[in-house]
Formats: sequence, structure tokens, C-alpha cells
Amino acid sequence: MSELYGWTGKILRVDLTGGKVSTVDTAAYVPRFIGGLGVAAKIAWDELRPGVDALAPENMLFLMAGPLTGTLASGSSRVVVAGIAPQQHPSVFSRSGMGGHWGAELKYAGFDGVMVQGKAEKPVYLWVHDGEAEIRDAAELWGTGTYGTTSALRATHGPKTRVISCGQAGERLSRFACIQTETGNAAGQGGFGAVMGSKNLKAIAVHGALGVRVADPKGLLALCLNASREGQSPPPPPGARRWRGWWNQEPGPNFRRRKCGFCITPCSDGLFMDIPGETVPGVHTAAWQCWGYSTSFRAHVEARAMTADFGLNGWEISYGMIPWLQMCRQHGLIDKIDGLEIPIPEKLIENLEDVVPVSGAFLNMLLHKVAFREGELGDALADGSCYAAERLFGGKGAPLLDRIYPRRFGQTNHWNAHWGTGGSPYFPFWLVPVLQWVVDSRDPASDSTHQFTEHVLRYLPEHGPERGPLTFEQARAVCEKVYGTPYVCDPTPTYDHPEARALPAIFHHNRGMLVESLVLCDREQTRVFSMLTEDRKADTALMSKLFSACTGYETSEAELDRGGERVFNLLRAIDIRNHGRSREIDWQVAQNLTYPAFTDKVVLDLEQFAPMLDTYYELRGWDPATGYPTRAKLEALELGEVADGLEAAGKLSK
Amino acid sequence: MSANKTAVQQPSLPTLLAVQRAGVIQTDVKRCLVCRECEVACSLAHESECNPELSRIRIDANDFVAGLPDIRVCKQCDWPACYYACLGKWGESAIRIDERTGARYVDENLCRACGACVRACPLTPERPVIFDKKVGKKRIRFKCDLCKDRPEGPLCVEICPGKALTFIPAEERRK
Repeated sequence: MSELYGWTGKILRVDLTGGKVSTVDTAAYVPRFIGGLGVAAKIAWDELRPGVDALAPENMLFLMAGPLTGTLASGSSRVVVAGIAPQQHPSVFSRSGMGGHWGAELKYAGFDGVMVQGKAEKPVYLWVHDGEAEIRDAAELWGTGTYGTTSALRATHGPKTRVISCGQAGERLSRFACIQTETGNAAGQGGFGAVMGSKNLKAIAVHGALGVRVADPKGLLALCLNASREGQSPPPPPGARRWRGWWNQEPGPNFRRRKCGFCITPCSDGLFMDIPGETVPGVHTAAWQCWGYSTSFRAHVEARAMTADFGLNGWEISYGMIPWLQMCRQHGLIDKIDGLEIPIPEKLIENLEDVVPVSGAFLNMLLHKVAFREGELGDALADGSCYAAERLFGGKGAPLLDRIYPRRFGQTNHWNAHWGTGGSPYFPFWLVPVLQWVVDSRDPASDSTHQFTEHVLRYLPEHGPERGPLTFEQARAVCEKVYGTPYVCDPTPTYDHPEARALPAIFHHNRGMLVESLVLCDREQTRVFSMLTEDRKADTALMSKLFSACTGYETSEAELDRGGERVFNLLRAIDIRNHGRSREIDWQVAQNLTYPAFTDKVVLDLEQFAPMLDTYYELRGWDPATGYPTRAKLEALELGEVADGLEAAGKLSK
Repeated sequence: MSANKTAVQQPSLPTLLAVQRAGVIQTDVKRCLVCRECEVACSLAHESECNPELSRIRIDANDFVAGLPDIRVCKQCDWPACYYACLGKWGESAIRIDERTGARYVDENLCRACGACVRACPLTPERPVIFDKKVGKKRIRFKCDLCKDRPEGPLCVEICPGKALTFIPAEERRK
């Protein structure tokens, strides 16, 4: 094809050491690697060698859009972030991402992605507009929070400029510093704000009027109008409120609802504006989403604003660090920080539910401490609990981490029935997210697990004490068609039918890779069930139809799924070659997940889980003994060069 | 007396200038989610590309300033100043009145790129609803046409997830 549709055709390559900006042709990587994460993974496979530190100039920071970014396809404003992630423990190549408007604006500015290498001598920012990019001095912005940086860059480049930036936390290389855009969206997990800080890159401002040309405008329009608007979860039972209380309040000068750009899927997201703080005079503006601090309303808005402005990953503080500090106090390791007592419950903390609220003053103090690395404690905590536990209290706090984190990730448990973050999956259904955690390089919920735990499980007729709208017959029939086995929806508490856990884990992980490569949002894709069709099966081919309409490459559902599988295997290969990933490490993650589930108190039985993991590897086309992909599998996925690379590293299974 | 007679025989100015009433897209900023789906849908339908800068409806919001967003779209005036301005200047108005919806729209083949309509619009300059795009060397104007060729009505109204937009047909519109 001579002309590209969907993709802009150019990826920006920025060498901050040499102060040079150049472009790479997207066509060299697509349609094989789709876009977004797929293209980032391919470039990382080619260019990132083993032994690179997350905060070294050699690390690459990818900010990638995909062929669907900036189009009418719902959820298409996101940007994928990839690189060696400092929050991961140890640091490995991983991914993050954010909604908002920046990803789409990058496409309108003429680029499919930005990859940043090297380190600038002095603080700089990148100004990307209408097919051009320049490195500019950011001396005046260094030391400013993300809110101030955004406003300053809008004053310079116009009010429509979209900005991503790192805050003071990223400048100080906090391992859980986020990349923030506006008030409410951030690439939170992964610590990529610190990667920006380590490169002396304060911000990337984008604006453009170039638009995204699509191959079949009428087809795309029809698809998007027909795409169901039922959202990720089934309609609530009569009388139940769909949204949390705060969502239902009347919008006015202090509150409005908001969404990411170009999305029609319901997703609770609001903005509180000009709310008086609890501890700091003045008013605060902060977005309100799925995560939050356990504290008063005013302190919450204030702390959220600080978290976003400093460029911190609030999830880690709220669900990881504060609970860990409370546990540490229960075990006599620490009482107070700066004279403020760490509040604790009477009983020993077993899961998130037991953790007690903290005051606004405590949050204010803690946020300042970690963002500015104040004192020995703040300096250690700024790297997140998993790294801090090695430095503080003679290492005695480290064993307490295990309830909260699979330590390998530096990210709290989420949607895997452990700890309590995420909703409530029950056995045997939580074996699916557990399998996903075991093989991934990060918390897989953000692109792959939500599809299963927040969509599939909520439609099932029987899921713990919860009841979805489908009948068992309907669910069985749909599961048979989508996964190839009807047992996916079978609630019998057993380790039988291992393929009924492995197949959905693989299906949704591959779909997650498509979400990250196209780039869409996992709140929107993939749906399995629908209340709008007779047989209750959603149109699972929607992503491939959108891809075909946007790019003009006619691609079937199966072909696109193979693309997702290709990206997943490529990421696995990077993890194996560069970071020593193997079955042994997968197994360590499983061993970390053996506390009683907070939903049903069931304990993962490792003896029965081992053959399930074998089945998973076999279905993946990987060697069960090592967890390495086989040459046959990689060649079937058109990844011959990856097979050669793994073989050269002695890490390929025959 | 004779002067009076002449006045009665000639059509009054309002009769001369009257144009068919139009429907309108009513906006409720409290329900706007700032997703800008309307912008990209509008540009896709009218210009065959996804580009908010080519949209006939615009959402303005700044997260850092308290308050509700602004939705900018043509009010389809009963007395359309844009239409008169073009008519008065060129004798034949490039702003046309659609028969079915009454929409005041720009005939792009007729537009002389003079900008008289933009200057005449009562919403200019604070909240412009007539935009321009480069066609060859000219800056052709474009504005909301109520999706006059779409029997189902305006696309933005249909796609808005917050239901912030409502289409009011001419006959139901408040006088």
C-alpha cells in the first residue's frame, strides 16, 4: 500500500544526549506489529540490550499511539508508555499508559509515537507540533509541579496545547513517579516519571491540526455508531445505582463529570474544582477516579491534587505504602513520622479492608516526604515500599510486603483476589488473573485482567454471592464460541479443566496487547457478553473491524488476535533475554500469591496449580520446563528473528 | 397620504428578509463530559477525516479553571446575520438555507473566502462558530449544517455519551 491510513507514518526519535531529533518510518513496523506497544516492543527488542538500568541514559522511553488513536473508535485518546520500568522490582522492560487527550493530539501533531533516548545536559522539554519537533530549554520549568508546567507551556504554545510532564518526584527520580497529563490522567504504575527525570526531560507539549485520515470513513462511522454503549459491566439490577454517590451530584462550579477524549463508554471520572484544603490554605482541583485515599473528602481532594502535581503514583501510596507503614507499626518497627502517629487498627492487618483511614495532615506530610526525598525515611520511601523495605528497619519490614505485593513487580495485588485492591473475584475464577500475574511483567489488570474480572465475571449467573444477568446455558454457549470451552463459566471450585482457566487468561492477555497496540482502552475492549444480542455474545470481532476500516488492511478477527499474540510473545522474549525471566521466576510470583483470598479465604494450592501452569505454557506454545517460547511457535508468529536472538542467548526451547 | 400608500404597497423589510426558521442543537453544559466525541464524529462525517480542527462543534474546557465547559455550535438564528452579510456583499449568499431542516450552511462552491459571515456573526469573536479551512489557496468557511443530509438528524446529538446535546426541530423551537 503506497499510502498509510490510520497511522501518520512517522515515529519521532529523540536523542537527548546529542540534542538531535529524527524520524523513523512507521511502515517499517506495521502492520506486523500493529502500532503502540507492539512497535515499541519491536524497537526495544532490536535496540535495548541486557543490563541497562532503568534510570540510565541508555534506557528508552516510548510514548506510543496506534493506528486507531485519535479516531472515532471509542477509547482512542490513550497513549502507551513503555521502557525499562524503575518501579518494577527488579526493573524490567514493562508498560504503562494514560488516557486524557495527549495521545490523540500527538497523532494530530503528525506522529505515531515518540521515543526518547540519552540524557540532556540541562533540563529540556519537547515541543511537537504539525509534523515538527524541537528540543527546548526547560530551566524555568524545572522544580515546578505538573499543574504549573502545563499552564506555563499553554501560555507559551496556546491554550489547546496538550502536555505530559513529570513533577518534582520525577525530577528526584522517585521510582514510583508518574507521567501526568492535566489533572486526572497519568501513566501511574511503572515509575516512568523518573525515567523522564533521569533524562532531564521535563515535559512534552503537543498540538496539531493534521488530523487522522482513515481508509473507510463511512464504514468507521457506521461501526462506531453500532458499537454497543453498554459499557464494560452489565446493566445494574433494578434500583441499584450505577455510579458512586459523588458521580450523581449536580455539576456546577465545584464539580463536573469528565471523560478521556473520544470515548463513549461509561466510566466514573469526575473533577472537583476549587475545594478548600484541609491542611493547606487555598483551593484544590483534582480528578476523582477508581483509586482513592482513605481520609476525609477535603483531605482527599487536597491530597489527590498534591499527588498529581508532584507527579506521584497515588495507587502505590494509598494501597501499598500507607498499609505497609501501618503493618510496620503493628510489628514495632516505627511509631511516628515527623511526630505524626501512624494510625493502626486493633487487629493485625490481613488485607486492605483492615487498613484504617489517615488524616489530611498525615497525607500532606507523607506526600511531601516522598516527593522531595525529605530525610532518610522520605529518601527511602521515595523508591516505593518494595525498595524502601530493603533499606529501612534493618530489612525487617520486607516480609510484611508479601500480603500486599508480588514483590517482583513493586506493584500491589490487583483484581487477583489478594490484598483487596480491585473487585471481588471468587475461586476458581481468580485462577485466571493469577495466571496472568504469573507470566506478566507488571500488574496486568490495566489492559488484560479487567476484561475478564470486570466484564465476563459480572455477567455470569453464579460468581460467589454475585449474580449476573445471564443464564448458565447462555454463558456456556458464548464461552464455547469465544474461548473454545464452556467450562470458563463453571463455578465448581476445582482445579479440573485447567484449560478453562488458561484459555481465558491467554485470550484476554492477547486482547490486552491489542488494546495497547491499536491503542484503545480496556474499559471498552474486549467484550465477550452483550445484552443487546439475542445469543448474548458480543461482537468480539469489533477490534479487527475497526482496524480494517481505519487502516485499509483487511484483517480478520483471528489474524488480529495473532498480532496480539505476537506482541505478547515479543514482550516475553525481551523479558527472557534481557531480564532473565523463566518458569522459575513465574513460579516465585505464584508462591507470593498464597495468602487466603480476601473474597473467599481459599488458598492457592501450588501442587494443583503446577499442572495448570504446564497447560498454560503448552497452550502458549512455550516449553513447560523453562517457560521459554519454542522456535516453532515464534516462527508461526512471524518472529523468526526473535527465535534466532533467543537461541543466541541460549534461551530458546526446541 | 401618498407616502403612506407607497409604504403599504412595498413589502416590509422583515418580510423581504425573512428566511425559513431552522432547527437547533440545544446544549446542556452540565451534562458535557468533555470527551470531544462530537468533534471527531463531526469531522469524520463532513470531512472524511478525524480532526477536531475540522469540526463544526467545539468543546472548550480547562481542567485548571473552575467551572463548566463551553460547547460552541451555531445557534441557527431566526435572523441569520451571516446570511445577510454574504447576501449584502455579493448579491447571492453562499450561506444557504436548507429546505428540510432550515439549517444555515455554507455552500463551499460559492464561498468567496471573504470572512464577512464570521464578522457578522453575533458570537464572534468570543465564541466563534464559523470556522475556516484551506482549500487550494482560499480559506473556505464552514459551519454547522445540522447534518442536513442525514435523515436521522445531527450526528453529534446521536453520539454524545453524556446526552448534553438535543436537536430541536424548527417547529418545536421557542419563538
